Formats: sequence, structure tokens, C-alpha cells
Amino acid sequence: MRRRSFAALAATAVGAPAVGGVLAGCAPSPRPGSRAAGATLTVATTTDVVNFNPLVGNSRTDYWITDLMYPRLLTIDDAGNKQPWLAVKYGYHDPKTGYYRIRDDVRWSDGKPVTAADVAFTINAIKRDKPAGNTTFGQLTNVARASAASATEVLLHLSKPDQTVLREVGFWMNVVPAHVFGKVSNVATFANTGDWVGCGPYTLVSAAKGQAYTLERTEPYPWAPGGKPSLARVVFRVYPDINTEILALRSGEVDLIANTLPPAQVDVLRHTTGITVRKVPGLGYAHLAYNMKHKPLDKLAVRQALAHAVDYAAIRRVVLQGQAVSTHSSPIAPVLTAYADPSMAEYRHDPAHARRLLRQAGYRPDAHGRFPLSLRMIYSLQDAVTAQWASMVASDAAKAGITITLQGMDRNTYLAKTDAGDYDIYAGNFAIMDDPVTNMALTYLPGGAINYSKVDDPALSKLITDAQVATPDEQRELVAKAAHLVRDNVYDNVVYMQNFYVAHRTEWTGFVAKPSELLTVVDPASLARVRTRS
Amino acid sequence: MTTALRFAGRRVARGLLTLWFAVTATFLLLRLLPGNPALAVANPNMTKHDQALLLHQYGLDQPLIVQYGKYLWQLLHGNLGISFTQQVPVSSVLLARLPWTLLLTGSALLVTIAIGVPLGVLAATRRGTVVDRLVQLGGVVGQSLFVPSVGIFLLFFFGLWLRWLPIGGAYSPDAAGAGWYGNVLAHLVLPCLSLMLLQIGSYVLTLRASLIDALGEDYCELARAKGLPNRAVVWKHALRNALLPTTTLVGLQLGFLVGGAVLTETIFAYPGIGRGIYEAVTQLDYPVLQGAFVLLAATVVVASMLTDLLYGVLDPRVRTR
Repeated sequence: MRRRSFAALAATAVGAPAVGGVLAGCAPSPRPGSRAAGATLTVATTTDVVNFNPLVGNSRTDYWITDLMYPRLLTIDDAGNKQPWLAVKYGYHDPKTGYYRIRDDVRWSDGKPVTAADVAFTINAIKRDKPAGNTTFGQLTNVARASAASATEVLLHLSKPDQTVLREVGFWMNVVPAHVFGKVSNVATFANTGDWVGCGPYTLVSAAKGQAYTLERTEPYPWAPGGKPSLARVVFRVYPDINTEILALRSGEVDLIANTLPPAQVDVLRHTTGITVRKVPGLGYAHLAYNMKHKPLDKLAVRQALAHAVDYAAIRRVVLQGQAVSTHSSPIAPVLTAYADPSMAEYRHDPAHARRLLRQAGYRPDAHGRFPLSLRMIYSLQDAVTAQWASMVASDAAKAGITITLQGMDRNTYLAKTDAGDYDIYAGNFAIMDDPVTNMALTYLPGGAINYSKVDDPALSKLITDAQVATPDEQRELVAKAAHLVRDNVYDNVVYMQNFYVAHRTEWTGFVAKPSELLTVVDPASLARVRTRS
Repeated sequence: MTTALRFAGRRVARGLLTLWFAVTATFLLLRLLPGNPALAVANPNMTKHDQALLLHQYGLDQPLIVQYGKYLWQLLHGNLGISFTQQVPVSSVLLARLPWTLLLTGSALLVTIAIGVPLGVLAATRRGTVVDRLVQLGGVVGQSLFVPSVGIFLLFFFGLWLRWLPIGGAYSPDAAGAGWYGNVLAHLVLPCLSLMLLQIGSYVLTLRASLIDALGEDYCELARAKGLPNRAVVWKHALRNALLPTTTLVGLQLGFLVGGAVLTETIFAYPGIGRGIYEAVTQLDYPVLQGAFVLLAATVVVASMLTDLLYGVLDPRVRTR
């Protein structure tokens, strides 16, 4: 009887493991004939897949996986220039009609050809269903509709002239198969959880939520040498903790870490035998936006004083460990050589000058040297790097007599406060600023979706709106003028542009690093060529 | 028999009431969270109008009472809703993860009890000796451990240095057939060990204290006076009463284990429900969060009911209260 009571207690604990039996249903069954011969590259990522629909995708891993299945019209080179991919040519028949001419030798994994109808369908579906999280949707504002003029030519009918739309849509939009996605009434609510049809280089064949996603080679793939992607399989494995992920790389459990490494880990891994660290140029920047709707940030002298208070070099050296570069206080990433102006100079770190500016603006310090200026700075606590440099900014400002109260908060509160304009200073990052004209429109036009400084300068607005309809050469000149205006008026204070680092096992080679955290070395152009050294 | 039935009926009714309260509180608390789901998933390029359309699509533009009514109605029909971000039924999101959490936490609980109870008995029966002090010290240290530190240490030692066990996940992507079960077991060892190390202290210390009390009771003195060997006094007489607080602890920790293994699941890349909840919080995916909390509440309620019923078995006096 007494033994039974202990047994009863133990039984409650045993009851749950009995569920292990249920796991039998979770056991993957081998797929006869699906195992292509060749190497498997195992890629580690810290974020799980949220959605397999590339028109909805939320997480970085969503993007990486779906990007290997659904082609983009354009890709990007090392200098940030858009280059042909599915589209071999693009341009404008007239100011209100754009076109893409696409390749005629690409097929979906079920054998059907990739045609202009697929591209037109994708654009029209995004316009119609407005999928959440879809970057292209905002870029299609001036597109009334798309149509297929032939099997290889897509027409974009614009509601008003827009010289940026083809580059942006071409780069950001994944083309989906109309014969699959067209079967659902609303692409925004289509989960795309199985029977995947892609056009390579790899297509999903199995997904174990929270764990691993296996893609197999799709042939023919015209962008790969010989039309055959180099790997038989690519497996994405999820390691939410970066330290575990690094241990998995060191042990050989994974071959590549796709997400960028924390600055502190870069040097450690550089000196680890069997590991190669690779640099990926950044395309975005970290910045401070001063809310000009809030007094006294509407005063140029105050913004300039704040800008001169910051020790940018120290932030790059201490927090980023030398892995970031100056943009010379320009909102144009240096990698965009066609637009970046090397003659621009970064705000000089000079607390004494900051004090002078404030005095000239009529502010008087108290006995402790503090000016009557108290500002509230918000940042996301999920962004560890920003959280570190935010405190350095506050400390620098204190040396110039300006009080900055730090408000670190969880990401959702941060987004809500940003949306409501509830901050004096916003500290954060723009991940990818690939097209200066489009990005300036979003960042500096009144009502722009990411106009966090609340800039409303008619001269700047005119430069940007003129650039939107100008030729590429004219755009470069207008963008350069706009960048100077932004810098001189401290409409945005760019702190640095971070270069990213990824790590892989040394036995692998052939990686192609594409700019930005989003493309890194897992872009289709890269993974179609990766191979083992042996 | 009637007393036992009445006792069980009261516990079930109390459990259902608790469940309703948990469902309602969860529903309201989620809507008090800062931010909104549209902002969490929308692209920054989306206009306010389009964000409003998204909220409409999620049904979040309706009055709170209407949302609550619809939610309760769908819950009564066994429908947990559709995930905002994944666009699949919440039940499938949770069911994909639940078996892994139950396997991990159940195994951890079993191992903890299997080791913790004998250790507690050992410490109590060797009271004041070096053995007792060592067990107590181990228990206190165990309670003070920090999950990520323990996890990373175990991974480094057994996964990287000795290379005996895998680093993360619930199984290797290439495992299949009969070997899959062994692979699952190998992946289970370290997270299970980590959870066990963190929990065992409370079991050992609780049992030690209650067993020392029990051994000082008159009925134990009487048993000894009757000439029963000490082993029989401990295991046959004192332990049964001393197990009552431990039983309570199991009930309390079951809820904690199902929802609270999030750190362990994160460190060991284990695809359980705790990690799913964390991800849903960052995305403000209300349906998944609501579904997960209903599940957790149900687990706690059921565990609590089982504990109460087990109490009744262990101590018949409880049934009459």
C-alpha cells in the first residue's frame, strides 16, 4: 500500500513522458527517391520560420528560405547596384509604363515555365491582398496594375511617373507561381505549408517547426554552372541562442552561421581553428533621429550641439569593435559608391563646441555646467548593440551639459512609441537602405513612413520628389544635394554603418557575400555555388 | 464512495472555474500589452490606413466585448483560432510543439523525483552528518543555478569537448527509422539534465525537512519501540506522510515546467511550447498566445486536480474536508 502511494506519485511524472509515444507521429519517414546525391550544407540561424509565403514573410529565416525558392527580378552587386537576375532587361516605354523582360529558360520545380504572367500575377496579388509585412506593397504605390505583354515581357502601368519603382520592386519582390498561388482567394492568408513549387536553386521538401528545414536541389537552374546547383541539400537549423549556435559550428554540427555574429564574437572565431569568418558589407545604418515636432529640437543649434556631443569614433571602436565605418554623417551607405559623396565630413566630436552652440542659441548653464535641456531617448532592449551605444550617447551629451534620459524598452513598446512619435530622440537602425531616392522619400518627406525626425523642409522635399522622376544621372546629383541638406541641418544623425560578419567551417568554399544582413552568403547566387574544398 | 465522488466533483468544478478565469484574464491582459499586432508584423512602408485594414483582418477593430464573446464561443467549439503570423490553426501550432515539451519536462520531472526522493531520504536519515550537509549544499546550489550558464556549460563539456552528445535540437535532420528514437534520446539528455539540476534542490530539501518532522512523530517512535528496523520505519511509515508536501511541489512545478522551460528550450534549441510562446509574444500573435495560455492553464488545473486526488489517496482525511 505504501509502495503504491509512491508509485502513484511517480506515475504522475511518468504520465507525461508517456507522451513520448505520441512522438512516434513526429518521426520523419524517409522519402524514397528524394535523396539527391551530393553534399549537404547545414546552415544555422537564430530565428525560426514564421511563414513560408514569401509575400507575407516575417522573419529573416523566412526570407532566406523562400528566397532560395522564389526568384527575384533583380539582384544587387557589391557596390549596391541592381543587376539582372530573372529580368534580363528593364526600363520605361513611356513615363507611365515600365517593363521587365525576363529569361525564357527558367522552370518551376513542377516543370512549368516561369513566365511574365507569374510576375504580373505576383504584383497584382500584392496590390489586391495587401499582405502584412510585404515590403513591395509600399513600393507599388504608383503602380496601378501589371500585365503580361508576352511570355517574357511584363508591363507595369503607373498611375504617375516613378523612376524608382522598377529597381525597388525588382529587387525586393519574390515572384511566385501563378498556377499555385492563384488557386487561393487571398494570398495574404495563404500559409504555403507544403507541396512547395519553387524554381531553385533549392526547394523545400520538409519542415520541422522550431528545428530544421530541408531544401533539395532544383534542376535545371540556369544561374548555376552547368545548370546544376552545387549542393544536393541545404538544411536550415534553428538555434535561438547565439552561444549554442557558435558551439554547434565549432563542433561541426552545422557548417555555416547565416545570421551576423555579435561584434565580440568575431575576433574569437577568427582565431578558432577550422572556422573562417567572412565580411558582409552593410547597406543600412544606425542613427539618432531628433523629433523636430518637440521643442527645443526644432532649433538647428540644439540638434547641432547634440550631434557634436557624440563621440562616434569611440562608439565604433568600443561597441562595434572596429567593425563599423563612418558614413561621414551622410544617410547614404558608403557601399553605394554611385551616390556616396566622400567630401562630406562627419560631425566632429567636440563637447566644447556643443556648449558654444547652446550658449549662442541663448541657453545658460547652471553652476554644474548643465544646460536646461532634458531629452528622452528611446531604443529597443532587444537590440543589444544599440542599447550599448545609447548609453554612450547619453554620457557624451552629459559632458556637453545636456541631460538625456534613456528609455530602453521591449520591441513592441518601442514600435508603438515610434509610431506615435512619443520620443525626443529615437535611437535605432535602418537595416537596408538600398535605393537612396526611395529611402529618402520614406525618411525625409512629410508623412514618410519612417520620417522619425518629422522633417518638413520644402527644399529637401523638392529635391527628393524631383529625383523620383529624374533619370539615373540626374538622381545622383539630386541625392547628393539632399544628403548635404540632411547633414547640415541634422535632419538625421547617422552614427555608423556596420559591416557584418558570418562564419563557416573552413572546409567549405565558394560563398559569395552580398551586401546587407538580409542577403549575406545565403543568397541564391551564393548557395548555388558553395562546395567542399575536397 | 459518495464522499470520494463529492470530493472529486468539487475539485473538477473548481478547476473549470479556474480555467474560465485564466482564459478571461489572458484575453484581457494580452490586449493591455503595449503596441499592436499590426505594428509588430507590418512593414514600415505600410500606411496607417493599411495598418487599420490589417487590424480589421485580425478582428481587432471590434469592441472588446465582441472580441471576447467571439473568442469564448469559438473556444467552446474547440477552435483556438488562426495564428496572425503563420496563418495556420493555433491548434496545429501548439500540437507541433507540445509533445516535445511534454517529453522534456516529463522526463526531467521523472528523473528529478527518481533521484531527489532517495537523496532527500538519505539526507534526513543521516541528519547532521557530512552526507546531509553535502546534500543540503547541493540542493541550495542547484536552486541558485542560472539556466543559461548551466546549459552552455553542459553543451560545452558534453557536446563540444567530449563530443558525447549533440549540441541542439530534438533530433538530427538526417535521423530516420528506428535510429530516430535513439537520436531523440541523445538530444534529450542535456536539456533534461539541465532541468533536473535546477529542480532537484527543492525536492531534496522539501522531502528532507518533512521526513525529519515525520521521523520525530509518535507513530514512528512507536514503530521503533515495537522493534521495527529503522529502514522499515523510514520507508514504510514516515515517507508516506513526508511525501505530501513533495506531491504538492510536483503539482505546482508541472505548470512551471510546461510554461517555464522557455530558457532551457532556447539554450538547447529544443522546439517546445515555451519557445513558441516567446516567439508569439515578440510578434504579438494573440491567438497563439491565448491558445498557449489556455493549454498551460488547463495543464495546471489538471495537475492541481490530480494532486488533490492523490492527496486524497495518500491522506484519506483530506477527502472529508
